[in-house]
Amino acid sequence: MTENEVEHVGFADVTGELVEESSVEDLAVSKAAEIKVVRSDVGRSVNQKYVVRYVVLPVVLLTVTMLGGLRLNAGDSSLIFLKPALLALIFAAILLALFFRSGMIRLDGWFAEDFSMLKNTANAAVLLSLFAATTQLFNSLLPEQGLPFWIICFCFFWTLWNNLFADFDTKKLFRSLGGLFGLAFVAKYLILANLTAPANESWIQGILENPTKEAFTWLLDLPRFAAGTGYIQFFVAALYMLGLFLFPASTAGDSTEKHDR
Amino acid sequence: MLYASDPIITMNEKYIQTIGLALIVTYGAFIIFLYAAEPRSIEEISLKARTTVEDAVSRGQVIAGTYEIDQAKFNEALRAFRQDNFVAARDSFERADPERRDPRTQFYIAYSFYRQGWGRVSNDDALFKLALESVERVVLLNRDFRSDDTNLQLRTPAELRSELQEGLEVTVDDFNPLRLIRERK
Repeated sequence: MTENEVEHVGFADVTGELVEESSVEDLAVSKAAEIKVVRSDVGRSVNQKYVVRYVVLPVVLLTVTMLGGLRLNAGDSSLIFLKPALLALIFAAILLALFFRSGMIRLDGWFAEDFSMLKNTANAAVLLSLFAATTQLFNSLLPEQGLPFWIICFCFFWTLWNNLFADFDTKKLFRSLGGLFGLAFVAKYLILANLTAPANESWIQGILENPTKEAFTWLLDLPRFAAGTGYIQFFVAALYMLGLFLFPASTAGDSTEKHDR
Repeated sequence: MLYASDPIITMNEKYIQTIGLALIVTYGAFIIFLYAAEPRSIEEISLKARTTVEDAVSRGQVIAGTYEIDQAKFNEALRAFRQDNFVAARDSFERADPERRDPRTQFYIAYSFYRQGWGRVSNDDALFKLALESVERVVLLNRDFRSDDTNLQLRTPAELRSELQEGLEVTVDDFNPLRLIRERK
């Protein structure tokens, strides 16, 4: 780059070197045609990062929040919005603590005195979205009632409690969560769903045609949902993992650091 | 070489953060609405949204002290009441006074329960009990309430309450054959 070229870049800091007065004059008298403006993509990529952090990420997380409690009625496929159980909120709080402990989210990178009020507020809103999405993901993966609810809750609690005292890095935590949520999804939407008797059968017809399923449904107090529920919740779990992947560890200094996932 | 600071990027950050905040608040409010209203279909969402907005507006009016009943619905209810169509009348009265703040409307609701539940031989206890609940609401709203409707023989909550309590109790008078010629008030 020649001394007459000016580069537009996205850094807020201004660095420069002292130029002799004569050089400045030279620059001032240079023909306009000789001054070449070199545009860089850095500014655009910084903007893109802000859009991902403050627009795309909340949309992903809030979509998980919206759909996490959605079930479809087995009879008429009507919508059922289930509010999360108290345990889902507790698990979400533990998981967030795990995110902070593992360094996946650095608290001082999201809230700081030298950040503007707007930035701190926007960051708080994004973190709140993450908490809401996590709560709803547990709402999605925990069975709704009966013995399976308590068994899966116990498994979640056991795993999360152990993880809380283990040494994790971000990569291991991300993989561990993928495995944990995947297993919970299989348990609820493949195994338990296949043990549930169809809803449109009468009680006697069910006993005659599907005695085992009727017995399991009655014994385990399994709710009857339409098959579409599993598809929606698969999308929710996948979207949540995408949200975690996009989640930056820190917003301080708009660093370009990325998680090693 | 000079690295010029780019003020546009700083402005963009603020804009994007503001847009993000607005988006989170709006989307979050929509989600809270969904889980509070629990619509059973996509079509029901707009219906529930309209009801929620109407409720919010009337509650806002109560807080601001500008709450008024819907006079058109009240008149419609009064017509139905005078035609002895008590179910329709109550429905319209309730829509005219969704916040249950108007003693006159609540008195008519109580009276509609009384008239619907009244029987020459026996009364409907369930409707009389609902009437008593409405009468208590009237007393809470205005202890000295007196109806200006000359078509009503029971003009105060006390008179109506007395009639309802008498109707709910089983006494020796209930077996008096002359009761068959009594009139509804």
